[in-house]
Amino acid sequence: MSRTAAAADQRRRILEATADLVAEQGYQGATIETIVRRAKVGYATFYKNFEDKQQCYLELLDAAYGVTFHRVQRAYDREQEWPDKVAAGLGALFENIVAHPNIGRACLVEALTAGPEAVARHEELLKQFRPLLKPGRELNPRRAELPDTLEDTLTGGVLWVINQRLIGEETKALRSLLPETIEFVLRPYVGEQVAAREAELAASN
Amino acid sequence: MGEEELGPLPAGRHGFSREQVAHNQRERLIAGLATAVAEHGYNAVTITDITKAAAVSRRVFYENFEGKEECFLAAFDVVVAHIHELVAEAVELGPDWPHQALAAAREVLAFLSSEPDLARLCLVESQSAGPAAAKRFRDAVGELVPPLEQGREERSAERPLPPHTEESTIGALVSLAGRKVAAGEAARLEDLLPDVTQFILSPYLGPDEAERLAREPV
Repeated sequence: MSRTAAAADQRRRILEATADLVAEQGYQGATIETIVRRAKVGYATFYKNFEDKQQCYLELLDAAYGVTFHRVQRAYDREQEWPDKVAAGLGALFENIVAHPNIGRACLVEALTAGPEAVARHEELLKQFRPLLKPGRELNPRRAELPDTLEDTLTGGVLWVINQRLIGEETKALRSLLPETIEFVLRPYVGEQVAAREAELAASN
Repeated sequence: MGEEELGPLPAGRHGFSREQVAHNQRERLIAGLATAVAEHGYNAVTITDITKAAAVSRRVFYENFEGKEECFLAAFDVVVAHIHELVAEAVELGPDWPHQALAAAREVLAFLSSEPDLARLCLVESQSAGPAAAKRFRDAVGELVPPLEQGREERSAERPLPPHTEESTIGALVSLAGRKVAAGEAARLEDLLPDVTQFILSPYLGPDEAERLAREPV
């Protein structure tokens, strides 16, 4: 392994160890000592990469959101119709959480406990989902009456459903919740009938 | 010997019984904790911050609570009990389900707007105050599901709503409100009322009727 590849590998191991420890012990409980031990790197390596635990955690947030958002966007872009795009995006989101529950727990559940900077960063990252939902407004004949907060509210609802499953350690249950979550998100834009049809489609897949 | 067996204090300057004083001190500590937590955050707050804000001694603090977590949980319970009371009252007084839901949303948002420190304690700090607080928070939110489920009776559509609709709806609003509070906008929570009512009522009454009710003058 080249020197740059080794350095990148160490950095990745530190971020992974941070995700695991924050998921297991909470942000406050995770320490740099336990992180370096889990990542099998020295303190010097940690401090060469990060200033402190908070900076390391913020980079984990950025990296995890970056990867997740990219997958959601790719699934969304593959579909033609907006309701199908949203259904595919939510499907990709849920599958990503099911595949990486520790990262989900560390980044979604624990973000609110990791201090004001993490709260602010988390809020910024969540806003990335707004532009995926907003085109749905065009499909609503009563679009002028839709509240400005609709996208943030729906994002909050999905986040709540995910967080509760992560906290309850029943992340796989997200799969069975996917159809009705799709319906929940689509209903305000396209009405109950179209939303329910999309949910049935997802349930039969 | 238990506190209650001591009987009233000799009628002194203040004329309160020992129990009344103790009760009052506990309430002051709870209020002091809310102030101190709003200022420093749960994780950074110290017993000294709390007793200073409450203007009572450390000794009195430890007579009432084992530590800051217990004090926090007591404060959290007081806030949640009040919110549940507001909801129960709205349900009891409202002429029908839509107006009950409307009044509940209005009263809860008005309360949280008028008490930004308590809103923060309940919606934001409870997430970082340890697993016991996080669990109480989830349970407290869960208790709002049954009154919302009553709205299913109002639906004209034959197809039932999916089973977790209420969980998602309440979760969406709690999450939205929590993020507003975290952003320092607790005092403006009340502005969300029309959006919130429309969002709550739509699945049950349809968007048109929900919109009409959301704009109905009080």
